[in-house]
Amino acid sequence: MKFFSKMRGGGLSPPAVGFSEIIWSWLGAFLGISAVAFLNYNLFSDTDLIFIIGSFGASAVLIYGAVRSPLAQPRNLIGGHIISAIIGVIAFKLFNTHLWFASSLAVATAIAAMHATKTLHPPGGATALIAVIGSQKIHNLGFYYVFIPVGAGAVIMLIIALIVNNLCKTRKYPEFWL
Amino acid sequence: MKISELNRHSVGVTNEDIIQAMKKISGYLDITPSDFMEVYQVAYTHAFERLTSSIKAQDIMTKKVIAIDEDTSPIDTVKLMARHNISGLPVLNKKNKVSGIISEKDFLKQMNTLKQPSFMNVILQCLESKGCIALDLKKLSARDIMSSPPITIEMNTPVLEVANLFESHNINRVPVLDKHLNLAGIIARSDLVQAFC
Repeated sequence: MKFFSKMRGGGLSPPAVGFSEIIWSWLGAFLGISAVAFLNYNLFSDTDLIFIIGSFGASAVLIYGAVRSPLAQPRNLIGGHIISAIIGVIAFKLFNTHLWFASSLAVATAIAAMHATKTLHPPGGATALIAVIGSQKIHNLGFYYVFIPVGAGAVIMLIIALIVNNLCKTRKYPEFWL
Repeated sequence: MKISELNRHSVGVTNEDIIQAMKKISGYLDITPSDFMEVYQVAYTHAFERLTSSIKAQDIMTKKVIAIDEDTSPIDTVKLMARHNISGLPVLNKKNKVSGIISEKDFLKQMNTLKQPSFMNVILQCLESKGCIALDLKKLSARDIMSSPPITIEMNTPVLEVANLFESHNINRVPVLDKHLNLAGIIARSDLVQAFC
């Protein structure tokens, strides 16, 4: 019965953040995503290069919206994306004939690898998955996927996070680098 | 209950305190109140143990110990205890080693025939008989009254252990012995209170 009683929760829900926190989160995310989206749609639109992937939206939640979270620190942001990207590409290359397997293997292994390397970053799971279920354009990138869009995008968003989060008086970013 | 356990249960921070603190700290904290509570309790216990194990018996003991030898008469013993306003003292044998401890409790034990030595039982016995039952003690010496063998500790025994010893043996003072097992000091419950506060 303990199994079911654990599902009841019973803990308290944390309080909501203040108004200024909401504004700063919005501003950071707007600028961070602007940077990679502008590169993607305006500067490199005629090339085969991709600068934005869906998992950046999730990273934005963490690095602009939950600045103090261990999951949002540079080590996790960069490390989590890159490690997961490598795993995603390998999973696709090895098992692209069985996409269901490549998908689950990519995400599960990415989580395990991020845990093992202390780089857990939830959007990493999406980065690994996108390497498998993404467009032809993504698949054509092969291991370049790890550098562009993933590595480059993560670094650009990190730079914006360093600027915006430290302009805010009540914020400090990062908590730690490594 | 051991002191360390006692503290774990009475850390005293409520969920409400944590919620208020989380509201006060600007920025989104990626934890639930129960995360904090768990971290806090473990950290508190850790800090408590670190502090209490860093304080040793020798840091809080009273070095000037009032002691008697085994042949001391009850009158002299009682006089000494009354004069110094203490409720117990160590008894030394001829080789100057602690051979026992005499406390109020030991006197009560001698004075009443009932199993439960208590002040009220002694008064009861006094009221029921006509004389003072303490008179029977006159022919005894410290050797006959003391509790022996004594519970003792070493100079570097952590204070936390001393506290638990008091609790488990239900005693109020304990002699501290040096390397050569000679009396170096004594710790009473009141010394502990000061160490913890």
